[in-house]
Amino acid sequence: MSSEMLDLARRLLACEAVAGKASEPTEPAVSRVYEKLRRPLCALAGVAGFRSLVSRALTLAKAEAPSLCAVQVTPDGYLQGLGEFEPQIDKPQVGDGGVILIAQLLGLLRTFIGEALTLRLVQDAWPDAAFDDGSSGGGRKV
Amino acid sequence: MSSNDKVTIHKLPTGVPGLDEITGGGLPEFSFNIIAGAPGSGKTTLAHQFVFANATPERPALYFTVLGESAIKMLRYQQQYTFFDAAKLPNSVRFINLSQIVIEKDLGAVLEEIIKEVERASPAVVVVDSFRTMVRKPTGAPGGMELQSFIQQLALFLASWQATTFLIGEYAEEELRDNPIFTVADGLFWLRQSTERNSVVRKLQIVKLRGQASVTGLHTFRITDGGLQAFSRTFGLSGHKKREPSSKRLSIGIPDLDKMMGGGIPEGDSVLVTGASGTGKSVLATQFIAEGIRQGEPGIVAVFEERPQAYTDRAGSFGLDLVTPQNDGKLLILYLRPLDLSVDETMNEILEAVKKIGAKRLVIDSLAGFEMALSPGFREDFRESLYRMIFALTGIGVTILSTVEVDESFTEFPFSTYSISFLTDDIIRLRYISIDGQLRKIMVIIKMRGGNHSQDIREYEINSSGVMILGKRLNDYQHLITGIPERLHRPGQNEEPPQEQEAKSKR
Repeated sequence: MSSEMLDLARRLLACEAVAGKASEPTEPAVSRVYEKLRRPLCALAGVAGFRSLVSRALTLAKAEAPSLCAVQVTPDGYLQGLGEFEPQIDKPQVGDGGVILIAQLLGLLRTFIGEALTLRLVQDAWPDAAFDDGSSGGGRKV
Repeated sequence: MSSNDKVTIHKLPTGVPGLDEITGGGLPEFSFNIIAGAPGSGKTTLAHQFVFANATPERPALYFTVLGESAIKMLRYQQQYTFFDAAKLPNSVRFINLSQIVIEKDLGAVLEEIIKEVERASPAVVVVDSFRTMVRKPTGAPGGMELQSFIQQLALFLASWQATTFLIGEYAEEELRDNPIFTVADGLFWLRQSTERNSVVRKLQIVKLRGQASVTGLHTFRITDGGLQAFSRTFGLSGHKKREPSSKRLSIGIPDLDKMMGGGIPEGDSVLVTGASGTGKSVLATQFIAEGIRQGEPGIVAVFEERPQAYTDRAGSFGLDLVTPQNDGKLLILYLRPLDLSVDETMNEILEAVKKIGAKRLVIDSLAGFEMALSPGFREDFRESLYRMIFALTGIGVTILSTVEVDESFTEFPFSTYSISFLTDDIIRLRYISIDGQLRKIMVIIKMRGGNHSQDIREYEINSSGVMILGKRLNDYQHLITGIPERLHRPGQNEEPPQEQEAKSKR
């Protein structure tokens, strides 16, 4: 898994953690990040297409984070058991299952449709955050 | 506004090079179109080109994918084309997958979803790819919407919402007839590809296009890194004004041959130089081009049998400098040798070159090489394509000199093996003859549409300056055109061969 995708995943989770604190969230940041990705990806690839993408990402993530073993993908593309994986935003760790899952999902997208389109999709889901468009070599800022 | 005012139908760029010419200036705005063809024929790519050429953030394009290619994979592949602009996603170009609705519900639900998205986005362009797959799913639901009704309602709705629409569908050739779905469409684009021996030939036909005159017939297209590129049968010259008849004569660079032709080649003519291998066809053609450059007339040489460097070097050996005019932008030597070319593609290359340097002269060396460079499927249409090409080029004032090799026969005098003499205004025939134990060469003007020409049969040689016509006509022989002439025995005539006599007179 690339460090760039891990970094991007952490930044997205940080965004949602901050937003969550402001609005007294009922859901953990990982779930909100996942949901923000699920909606446009379902529109783009269809529920079945998204589900297959997430299944692959989850399989890859489980190999790195065994704590994800109880997480399941539902037929409509939701994840069961994800809420338990609230990352340590203040002290982000590579071993955080939620971060790894999001990073794997983004990494798969990048593999299939390229970095530019992946970042555009992320940018569209987090319009208030600033990301590079990928032309600068993958560097991004939040 | 008067009662005579007609509605103006705006035309949208197709984004496909060459296709705007074929459609008659672009695609009618708000039209409802179907792109049909077999898998792999380029339907999706064509739709993408249109989408990226027209979508804006204010009037985006909605691209609905149904049951077919995965949207993720489609993006993966389509972004390889140069027209794909990632910056247009998702504000200008939006992909929406409807596969779940198609699987779980019926066409009515699909229509509802499309309407909902269109009302939300107010798009300028809508694509449904592929609508045909929807009908293959057995709904089984009583009262479920049929495809024809779906198409009808979709067309009505999208027209009112001012969207230009493409439906993409896999159709076989035989399905073209009596299909009510095609009746609804304003435009029907049919893409074909067929395999001819080892080559694939792609052709496009606009079966119908309401509201404007498109160019009928089958047009060649190619799929390149830039997507589809279409080549109109009229070579993009249908709108060009025909040249006024010219009385100007162009020198070939061989003064005696100019005289034989009544002062040179009439401007805008198509000339065929025909003869056996080694008779000097290419040399003569090179002299024609070099003379044009001397006269300030830029030229194009399309070569098929040798590379431009070899052609330039050979011209240099005759004292003809083709290097300087190439450096000065007065001459282009095109090497067209891929083995699956179409005449239309070749023509496109030549036309681009003509426009680029304002060429007045064109050499095609040779027609036999040209034919060999074509895909086998296009060779069948060679004569017809050649006719269109020559007609189009001479129509804009380019004078064409083509060479063609013929088998040397000592019993016949064929003008060309291609039966293309009718395509040319003027024919110069070169041939070998056997005289006095030597293989010598003669030339004769067979025809000139533009006026009188010499009837003489003249001997010539190829020396370090190129083709050089010798002496007067060969009036001491008969049966010259058989290749085995007989000397006429006239009273008082000596028996020395003409060359000996000529040498003596020079001394």
